[in-house]
Amino acid sequence: MIIQNKKTALTILISLLILLSYVYYSHQKINSKAYITNQGDNTVSVVDLNSLKVVKTISVGTAPLGITILNKKNLAFIGNVGTDDITVIDTNTDQIIKTIKLNTAPLSLTSSPDESKVYITDWFKNNILIISVEEMKVINSIKVGKTPSGVTFNEEYSYLIVTNRDSNSVEVFKDKKLIKRIGTGKHPFGVHTDGKYAYTANVYDDSITIINLENWTTKTISVGAHPYNILTHQNLGLVTNTIDDSLSVIDLNISKEIKKIKTGETPENLDIHRKLNILVVTNWGSDSISVYDLKNLELIKEIKTGAQSRSFGDFILQ
Amino acid sequence: MRKFILALITLMFSMSIFAHGPTPQKVQESVTVNVSVEKAWALVKDFSVIDKWHPAVKNTKIEKRGEDTYRILTLESGGMLEEKFRSIDDDLKKIKWEITKGKVPFSDFNAYIIVSKGANANESIIQWTARFYRTYKLNPPIPEGEDDATAKAAGQDIVDNGLAGLKKTLESK
Repeated sequence: MIIQNKKTALTILISLLILLSYVYYSHQKINSKAYITNQGDNTVSVVDLNSLKVVKTISVGTAPLGITILNKKNLAFIGNVGTDDITVIDTNTDQIIKTIKLNTAPLSLTSSPDESKVYITDWFKNNILIISVEEMKVINSIKVGKTPSGVTFNEEYSYLIVTNRDSNSVEVFKDKKLIKRIGTGKHPFGVHTDGKYAYTANVYDDSITIINLENWTTKTISVGAHPYNILTHQNLGLVTNTIDDSLSVIDLNISKEIKKIKTGETPENLDIHRKLNILVVTNWGSDSISVYDLKNLELIKEIKTGAQSRSFGDFILQ
Repeated sequence: MRKFILALITLMFSMSIFAHGPTPQKVQESVTVNVSVEKAWALVKDFSVIDKWHPAVKNTKIEKRGEDTYRILTLESGGMLEEKFRSIDDDLKKIKWEITKGKVPFSDFNAYIIVSKGANANESIIQWTARFYRTYKLNPPIPEGEDDATAKAAGQDIVDNGLAGLKKTLESK
């Protein structure tokens, strides 16, 4: 092509530059890291979900388990059940910026939608601790049922939802006030919520309970052995079966398990990267994560992480 | 009044008896055995013959309960152990089971063994993984003998002795 004059050339050049910088920055914007708590070696593996490689290993407190990611604030909160504290990681630099002492074992964590607060289940003393993200300290607590395990926040209703493992129940709070207590299957551990539903994985019952947050009706669906956690994607429920080394795939429209997918050994927790359309499962037994394509639920890659990978909570930076 | 409070505390504690510590213990060990993978797997996959290779087990009795299979183990020490068969995967050469009853210093003991190929046709690798918790269910302080370290040591013993027994039995055949 022959460029007729300088003006046209300049226009083309500028357009190209704008296009290039757009492509560059839009790629830069896709945060795509998974933070894997390795309870057996007191570390967090940072996995780049584009290259599918561990890019950094961060030493944290003893026996890290629970995690939540604050996507807008670029922070990861990690609960260490051995040292009874929280490690806060800046996800831009992957450096530890703060350790918050709790003096009790933090089981799981979640944040308020505006990311001003982090809620932590206090396993031994039956509380939910509330941390102010700005002040980086515990500012309040809520009394809950026995051995609070999973915790999540429903944005639609502003409900804080917690599973009480040894009470076989879920408690629902709004502004720290108990709204409802609902029975689940035996030993509810992980909890997930979307729209008007909450879901619990019931370890001793090999089932999940689906709770309607509008009329409080419940439904039970059988899954594999010792389910640990659950999340939903479109019309599917995905459940980690720890003793089966499998993932139950549930069609939520017909409330039935439609298939089982093989995972690594003792799969515990799972999370989705929405833009990359992938599912990540942590395998406690094989010290790894399994990455699946969400389109067809086929395994893309199993990646070695650290000892006893768990990551109880939301562990993918979106 | 003091007695009442004490009774109340005891009651509260006994009610939460099903809880356990938040950290599962893991024992994962491997042994290389100088027999083919087929031969090693044939012994490992048979749920009814653990007394033939585990030095701590004197005899095995298989019990069917509905669809479930259990083995009742009489131990050399005189104790008893009940184990439930979980699953078998012939492709992965993996067998899974759990301890359901017995006087043991751990709880919720789940285990699996995977047999894989070694460096040559006459070599195989047997890997045993166990997941379990300590027995103490409540708030710290943790009493002696019910802690993570005691549970871990007992679990480690079962696995170490078992793998040594498998190697000895397989290689002497």
